[in-house]
Amino acid sequence: MSTTNAGLAKKLGYKNILVYLDGEPAWSKANLPTYSTNNFIKTGNVVLVDIRPSAIAVQARIKGAYSVPYEDLEDRLDDVPRNAPIVLYGDDEVMDAVIDTREEGFNFVSLVEGGFNGWLLAGEPVETGPIFNTEIKWVRKLGKGEVSVADFRKAATGEDKDAVIVDARTKEEVAELGMFKNTINIPLDELSARMNELPKDKKIYVHCSTGARADMAYNELVNNGFNVKFLLLNISDAECDCEIIRP
Amino acid sequence: MRKTFLKLVPLCLMVALINPAFAADQGGKPSVNQQTQQSQQKEANVYTGQIVGKSEKAKTVSIEVGKGDQVKTMMLKFDEQTKGVDQAVKGHAAIIKFEMRGNNKYATEIKPKLAKLPEGVTEIKTETLQELLKNHTDMFLVDARPASRYGQSHLPGAVSIPVALLQKKQAAALPLNKDKLIVFYCGGPT
Repeated sequence: MSTTNAGLAKKLGYKNILVYLDGEPAWSKANLPTYSTNNFIKTGNVVLVDIRPSAIAVQARIKGAYSVPYEDLEDRLDDVPRNAPIVLYGDDEVMDAVIDTREEGFNFVSLVEGGFNGWLLAGEPVETGPIFNTEIKWVRKLGKGEVSVADFRKAATGEDKDAVIVDARTKEEVAELGMFKNTINIPLDELSARMNELPKDKKIYVHCSTGARADMAYNELVNNGFNVKFLLLNISDAECDCEIIRP
Repeated sequence: MRKTFLKLVPLCLMVALINPAFAADQGGKPSVNQQTQQSQQKEANVYTGQIVGKSEKAKTVSIEVGKGDQVKTMMLKFDEQTKGVDQAVKGHAAIIKFEMRGNNKYATEIKPKLAKLPEGVTEIKTETLQELLKNHTDMFLVDARPASRYGQSHLPGAVSIPVALLQKKQAAALPLNKDKLIVFYCGGPT
């Protein structure tokens, strides 16, 4: 997209154009600061963290922010999924916090533009008083084509009779690890040849071991007119909690 | 779970593929001479597009080819003989050469499709851009990704101008002074 835009600008007569091909991912990887827009902070599914001392956060903080003093940050973020967008603000140490957090494996860490003062100046909402939200909670929103674990479980238990589960793992994996109930094993590479085994009038939920193959199978089935969703979850994850049978 | 976000990561290259200026060098793309096109398609078993999935366990790679309504996801197998399997990374653009074995397509070689810069435009690296920003160099820094990606994380001082917006607003979206330094970036040659 940067090259497309550069081409357009060139055509419009701009003479001094550079393209930063490595882009935003390389910039954050180099531990340089990136910023979220205030709108994203207010409406996005983010974990907003005030890393200033609690006494200061009690006086005034960005609405919806968790108060986590810098020294507690690592502990308190420990259970938060690494793909949660984290937005930090604080004083001088905030860039250190960004680097620490990125090194903890968080993929999306950015800052509030201008910090707390920038937020205030922009007239954005703040809150004051005691802080009650101590445990950081973040739940990923389902992406395109994803089935929720709850819906998937209903199909696996047989409670939802309008759904069929397809296990896209290999026969060897199924033989070794077993499979869920109400499930047909169609290894991903056999899918195009065996599609006729699947009903068009039912929901189809595809899973594999982590979701990678399920995603591919999803695309293939969607293209062939099936009512399909896929499970993006490591099925050994406790969250799945579906009964396993031996075929 | 990380994948979901990768899906959202916009791709310079995908757009580069859609842009006719960049598609010219690809075999099999519509050309003036239909016959040439057909014979090319027969000879060259090549897919160019975005990798949408790869499974080491099933030894398959999926690539999205075609444009608009014609977009199709093609699945190919790979094996020990396949060159450049590491180059097939989900979300990245690639060129896959393949051969038919029975009813299956086997990838023989996978190469990344690299971004091409328009003529007269040069690349800037992280360190240089960092210098420019540090020295408060007079420039117009543009985030070319979709606005949602800009919202989540953008470079200091960057302005959000996705490709569609620039196409619509043309020069009105850019500085009046055509000599001013403009730096464009997006989600990387991911």
